[in-house]
Amino acid sequence: MGRGARRGRPLGKTAIALAATLALALLGAACGTTGGGNAGEITTAEGGEVTGDLTISNWPGYIDPGEDGEEGTIAEFEKKAGVKVKYIEDVNDNAAFFGKMQPLLEQGESGGRSIFVVTDWMAKQMYDNGYLQEIDHEDLPEVFANMLPSLQSPSFDPERSFSVPWQSGMGGIWVDTSKAPEIESVNDLFDPKYKGKVVFLEELRETVPLLLMAEGIDPAEASNDDWLSAIEKIGDAADSGQIRAFTGNEYTEDLTAGNVVAAIGWSGDASLIENENAEWRMPAEGCTLWSDNMVIPVGAPNTAAALGFMDFVYQPEVAVNITEWVEYISPVEGVRELAEANGSEIAESELAFPSEEFTADCSTQDSPPEIEPVEEAWQEVITG
Amino acid sequence: MGPLSRAWAWLRRNALNIYAGLAIAYMLIPIVVIAVFSFGKTPKGKLTFGLNDGFTTEYWANIFKIEQLNDALITSLELAALATVIATAIGTAMAIALVRYQFRARRAANLLIVIPMATPEVVMGASLLSMFLVYSLVLGFTTLLIAHVMFCISFVVVVVRSRLIGFDRNLEEAAADLGASPFTTFRTVTFPLLAPGVIAAAMLAFALSIDDFVISNFNSGATVTFPLYVYGVSLRGIPVQVNAIATLLFVVAILAAAAVILQQRRAERMAQAAPEKEPIPVGTAITQ
Amino acid sequence: MSLRQRLVPYFLLGPGLLWLVLFFVLPMFFMGELALNSGTVETGYTFNWAWSNFGDSLSGHTEQIFRSIYYAGVATLLCLLIGYPLAYAIAFKAQRYRLLLLFAVIAPFFTTYLIRTIAWKTILSDESPVVSVLQTLSLLPPEGRLLATPSAVIAGLTYNFLPFMILPLYASLERLDGRLIEAAKDLYASSTQAFLRVTLPLTMPGIVAGVLLTFIPAIGDYVNAQLLGGTGTAMIGNVIQSLYLKQRNYPEAAALSFLMMALILIVVMVYIRLAGTGAFMGDEDEEES
Repeated sequence: MGRGARRGRPLGKTAIALAATLALALLGAACGTTGGGNAGEITTAEGGEVTGDLTISNWPGYIDPGEDGEEGTIAEFEKKAGVKVKYIEDVNDNAAFFGKMQPLLEQGESGGRSIFVVTDWMAKQMYDNGYLQEIDHEDLPEVFANMLPSLQSPSFDPERSFSVPWQSGMGGIWVDTSKAPEIESVNDLFDPKYKGKVVFLEELRETVPLLLMAEGIDPAEASNDDWLSAIEKIGDAADSGQIRAFTGNEYTEDLTAGNVVAAIGWSGDASLIENENAEWRMPAEGCTLWSDNMVIPVGAPNTAAALGFMDFVYQPEVAVNITEWVEYISPVEGVRELAEANGSEIAESELAFPSEEFTADCSTQDSPPEIEPVEEAWQEVITG
Repeated sequence: MGPLSRAWAWLRRNALNIYAGLAIAYMLIPIVVIAVFSFGKTPKGKLTFGLNDGFTTEYWANIFKIEQLNDALITSLELAALATVIATAIGTAMAIALVRYQFRARRAANLLIVIPMATPEVVMGASLLSMFLVYSLVLGFTTLLIAHVMFCISFVVVVVRSRLIGFDRNLEEAAADLGASPFTTFRTVTFPLLAPGVIAAAMLAFALSIDDFVISNFNSGATVTFPLYVYGVSLRGIPVQVNAIATLLFVVAILAAAAVILQQRRAERMAQAAPEKEPIPVGTAITQ
Repeated sequence: MSLRQRLVPYFLLGPGLLWLVLFFVLPMFFMGELALNSGTVETGYTFNWAWSNFGDSLSGHTEQIFRSIYYAGVATLLCLLIGYPLAYAIAFKAQRYRLLLLFAVIAPFFTTYLIRTIAWKTILSDESPVVSVLQTLSLLPPEGRLLATPSAVIAGLTYNFLPFMILPLYASLERLDGRLIEAAKDLYASSTQAFLRVTLPLTMPGIVAGVLLTFIPAIGDYVNAQLLGGTGTAMIGNVIQSLYLKQRNYPEAAALSFLMMALILIVVMVYIRLAGTGAFMGDEDEEES
């Protein structure tokens, strides 16, 4: 049986049939539009008996895993509440997480998750897109009895109607004190002697406000042009090789490996940096202040268990375990006293329990007046 | 002749071998690094890029202690197994059709099989995502399976096809002459001869699927496969177990491939039909 | 041949072709369609023949496009320089170690792509022995580094796609009739001449196939630039990935991917026109070539 040679024969009928099929499909597709939020009514998460399964998406290293024979918070919750928890550390970057989830959320699906932990602005963006459920304060007695007063009415969610703070933190400078002890200000990162030895966060809302403050501009007062000129300055430093890379969480790896002498980074990441000389410093001009929030997405199964979990972690005796391990700022009142009573060092830490004077110069403003042109300019810099 | 010039002569004579040896070393270095670091002791169980703390088998003893890692691995194994079965079945049928039959759409079919192999993964992932978005498909295991089968098919076809081409049809005809039904012929003659090619193709499909990051990253939705898990932790400290599992997967794959090749060799030696031919290892079959 | 028999190949091909049409060809059309949309995730997209997306995606990213071509080109060249002698040695010198060496060549396939790239990150990090050796030898300035530089990205690409170069080279070298080289030498050709006049031309199909199989995945890669690169090393794949998954600017992302696919299709089609599908399908003597 020979395999016939058909040299140079045009694709012929098969191709035409193929093209027709495709054209039809294309036509079908063109009729519908894709995307577009605010599809459904915003619902309120249903409370009730805490039982069943619960899936949570959180940032890595953001809860005590339970070590040396002691149970972590998740295990404790499972035991106390009789809920089986699947805890997934798949939030590495607000935008990337949203990018992955958005197509699902658009379908009213949450990928089986009942709690996401995302930063303030992202919580707001999700809410504005109709991707979050509201919460009834009556389902969360512990939360609203114990939440720090300073967190109770943030500008993005004045009533706390869809977000519950998980932890708060500060954006500032991580310094390897054995290599660059004199770095105190964000401006020092532009010193040519550290060329190629500093990394910046690729998070627009972290890096650019720090730059603005370094230039003496209050981010809350900054105009779009201020944002754009700060971005331009960063772009120039990137082009000249001053900035080694723009990173997400992996700046911690660079500090561990000794690849950098300083990095823009977050106050609570000591547990992730395997370098005893690494030290977080409050920039001379002030830091950024933010919270990561628990939110309940649309399509979340078993919202009762989700609410139950939120309430559980707002008990000071639970919250203190989390704080002792993650070293970020707890949103729960009374944690410091408990940590002190436990005799743990963290009670003395300005990073976990910052005083008002310590954060006096810090800014919670994370977005420019007009996001789109700024975002575009920023992306051009980081994928430059 | 001085020792120097003798050394020079030796060097010249063996230059190619030395060069090849260095190239092979280059190919194996990262694998060695992965394996060695799976034994490196670290204070917090995360890779630290140094071996200052000595060695331990602790992470091997606790290789399956990280729940998220296990979940991701199981997802990947399930996905790879399903994708392999589907892609191998579909691809083998296609290869048989291409080698054994004459038909009109042959050129178009060949083209359709070749082009996916020449498409960058990022484009495949992005285009599939575009379609899933339009159809509002829920991204997850199903969309991953669709994608994985898609990019495995072409490779299966190529591997099975190369096996079929060097195939002695007289055996089948002999069976038919001896009165075997077409089905019996297929079962007793064709399939056993085809099996090594099919197994090689299946192994290749499995390897491609379990290793895929780029296409999966576009179409996984909330599902986490092993490479996606690795990417996630690579940003925040990789548990040493990841290296241990990578090493384990490597060893298993090598053993499986070696077993197939040895089996194939033995079969061919027993057949003695032709002077011994070099069996085709899984990967080389792509291009042979 | 009966009708039933004539339909058999279509039954055999049907499921596979259907799968490829539905999940490979069709998505390309959807991508093309998406590229002509305008709008944002928030407002929804509408199809309005927005050809400007193509122009925007090109003009905004010329630097990354040329950079990708450059990185992938250098990596391909390096692969050829490393791969050809190695394939030659395996084919002609290895004798009974041949199988073992082939195994070594494909061994990287047996570890996860990401993990071996992360391993390179470790190997090339600033305080690694590799860097200090290079600094001692003055091959790298005292303050120089490897990680987060274009060299690291190119090295990563070279490493990850080297097997794609070696295997077709090996296949074509192995097929080479040794007697031809003998004959050339009998006719007083030097080794170099024999290589240049006989071996090289006869293995040219393998070289071209290897170059394509290396260059194409390399130009679309983003993992190496992501893990081993720094500022100013982003490739076109990074841009596509970021546009799709982070900025969710689907139309521009689709336009860019579509252009990339079109470019590669042209190259591949030209190649197939000239040399047939053989190099990809695994045999060079396919009649229809």
